[in-house]
Amino acid sequence: MTVLKLHRKIYRGTAVDAALKVYGSYATFEQREEPDHWVVSVSATTPARERRVAGELANYALGLTIAARNASPE
Amino acid sequence: MANPFAELPKDLVTLDAESVSLRLDATLYPLSAVYSAAYIFMDRAYLLLDQPDAEHLKVTLSWKKAPAQASGALERLAGEFANELLSCAWRARIAEDSRLVIESTTARALGGAMGPPSLDDLESFDFGDQPFEDPLGIALSWEEKYGKKKKDDKEPGP
Repeated sequence: MTVLKLHRKIYRGTAVDAALKVYGSYATFEQREEPDHWVVSVSATTPARERRVAGELANYALGLTIAARNASPE
Repeated sequence: MANPFAELPKDLVTLDAESVSLRLDATLYPLSAVYSAAYIFMDRAYLLLDQPDAEHLKVTLSWKKAPAQASGALERLAGEFANELLSCAWRARIAEDSRLVIESTTARALGGAMGPPSLDDLESFDFGDQPFEDPLGIALSWEEKYGKKKKDDKEPGP
């Protein structure tokens, strides 16, 4: 299992949710919240697939965060 | 190949088997600059951003596909990212410093693009208003300022 910890001040929650929807069919995800992080546990059939899905998910969430931030900076 | 980061402080760059992490001073590299640099690298690397404490940001990078020349690939990735980040931070600084000039120029350009005032605008314009104070009489015409005075203006005699 690969655990992704995405900092709340860096990644928007809506972006993480959208990324989870996009990659939902490629692996199994478990979500939980910590005071500073969105925590996503990724489980897939092989470690290589797990690493790839986790990386793509993090990139997608980051990309959406940047796009949303450019559209409406906080 | 010698480690190019060997002479840097150990907590600044951390090399693992598949990834490399950079610890950044948030005052030198604002989050907006880190976002910009990260966006540029998204097509070839996986990136994970974190904020270990209020003064620092952490960027972890790993190749999406291992490059043909595997030796020193992670060091190369970290070096390229650091250079791009420096460029983005500098551009962010320039943009911040020249923001007022850009806003003022844009406002003037947009104002000019609106064209001359229409007849309706002129009709509703209040010409009676004093647009500015003129204690030195700069806005007066030559005749008003130095021309012969009318007889009515003569001071009454003794």
